[in-house]
Amino acid sequence: MSLFVAQDLVKRFGGLVATDHVSLSVEPGEVHALIGPNGAGKSTLVNLISGLLAADGGSIVLDGVELTSLSAHDRVRHGLSRCFQITSVFRGDSVLDNLLLAAQAHSRSSFRCFGRRAGESALRERALELAHTVGLADMLDRVAGTLPHGVQRKLDVALALAARPKLLLLDEPMAGMGPEDSQQMVELIARLRSEAAILLIEHDMDAVFQLADRISVLDYGKVLASGDTAYIREHPEVQAVYLGVEEVR
Amino acid sequence: MSDKLHSAAIPSSGGVARWLPWALLVVLALLPIVGAELGLDYYVGFVRRMLIVMIAATSLNFILGYGGMAALGHAGFIGVGAYTVVALVDAGVSSAWTAWGAAVLVSGAIAALIGAVSLRTRGVYFLMITLAFAQMLYYLAVSLSAYGGDDGYGLYSPLELGFGRTTGNAALFFWIVLAIAALVFAFASRAAVSRFGLALTGIRDNETRMEALGYPVYRLKLAAFTGAGALAGLAGALLASHNNFVSPSTMHWTESATLLVMVVLGGLGRRWGAVLGVAVWLALSEVLKLYTEYWHWPLGLMLIAVVFAAPRGLAGVFDRRRAVQ
Repeated sequence: MSLFVAQDLVKRFGGLVATDHVSLSVEPGEVHALIGPNGAGKSTLVNLISGLLAADGGSIVLDGVELTSLSAHDRVRHGLSRCFQITSVFRGDSVLDNLLLAAQAHSRSSFRCFGRRAGESALRERALELAHTVGLADMLDRVAGTLPHGVQRKLDVALALAARPKLLLLDEPMAGMGPEDSQQMVELIARLRSEAAILLIEHDMDAVFQLADRISVLDYGKVLASGDTAYIREHPEVQAVYLGVEEVR
Repeated sequence: MSDKLHSAAIPSSGGVARWLPWALLVVLALLPIVGAELGLDYYVGFVRRMLIVMIAATSLNFILGYGGMAALGHAGFIGVGAYTVVALVDAGVSSAWTAWGAAVLVSGAIAALIGAVSLRTRGVYFLMITLAFAQMLYYLAVSLSAYGGDDGYGLYSPLELGFGRTTGNAALFFWIVLAIAALVFAFASRAAVSRFGLALTGIRDNETRMEALGYPVYRLKLAAFTGAGALAGLAGALLASHNNFVSPSTMHWTESATLLVMVVLGGLGRRWGAVLGVAVWLALSEVLKLYTEYWHWPLGLMLIAVVFAAPRGLAGVFDRRRAVQ
């Protein structure tokens, strides 16, 4: 049985159907890549799945739990965690404080207003563990907003990992990266697949073909094709719509 | 670079910051005794009012400075607290503790209701809707003819504090207000570095990310808003006993604005921000009133000067840690 199933998702903005009856699934341990030209509705789909946007129709099930009517934060608690296309970290805080805040969300109550959080060693251990996972252990005291772009992206991923997600949504993790940073991110994602299934939205074709077990192509809000990398590479419509465009450029 | 940041953080957390609150508490505790000796009763009363306003400002600083919720209706909750005392006194209640306790509960409940609606919005919309709710409360008070309507309501007999004492005992009432203000300040200071406070700061800095991290953002904000409303109500109740009089003007929107200005002046989201802002603002207006009827003028000019010279507020000037960043 699939770990994650999105069925017939619909989202309209006025007359525009941004997501048009999209269905997709992710198997346990799988990296499922979602590609498509600009404006195809990838970001909308990510927001629907993560719950930051409310869907007009369809259903979302993760590990047997119906998430469709749950808020974004409740979906995270059920194991669906995400990163952001535009790096979303706490820029004024240190890397450590960023990770502590992420860890705090998943250990006990955040309504406690007595007791210094700084004294909680379990939280600190979890933060350090996350830092090690993404390779930020030597930058804990750095202010997040002052770090290079590639490093901030890693921090963004680490924040999402704090939830110990079953499914990790990565929204264009290589966006705006140079080749070196991109390669590091590819390696990081390859390592993460042992911890969570991954739905990878990405423009970088090299990365997608390196990482993905399956690829779905989105165009005008619809799934144009879905299959393994070889199938997508050979698919005539996909070549015309997406890969072809890439070559012309 | 990271070492520098680290070492700069140390002086602000130790030394002066450690004993200053206690020294201040001792000085203030001695004030009614010294004041009575020197015949400065008026100023003892003035400081008492200052302490009460500090309670309200501290609660506003918590939601605005730490939580990023720009509420322009805080005086509304002060008013709810004050009118709760009026209603209970009118109904025959004479215990201060009952009246003040009820004020906390009622204003907290009203804040929860107003917050539940207002917190669906953000930024300027949030500001406008909290303002609108506060103005509704204001006009409600104006229309309450049983409690004096526009003219206000005089509390002719002081409330009982137990053991035969009343709020008419100026020194005792001063100490009670001081103790409450100190507790509120200590609580706010602790809460700021607790899980709750840090989650709130996270919401202020990046609300979407907090939601995506799994935080129940709306409920956290509502809890903070409710708590702040309850504390503002407590300040209102104390103010009613302090003035022995309550009128709708307590909750006029200009009162909310003044409170906001005081917090900004002192330093938004800083431990001493609200306290400093209230102390400086009220002391200056008191002094300037001695010299001119048009005391708003020089006060306004000083405010502009402070905004330019210390955009982080007065407390920000002393906070070296942020200055390094």
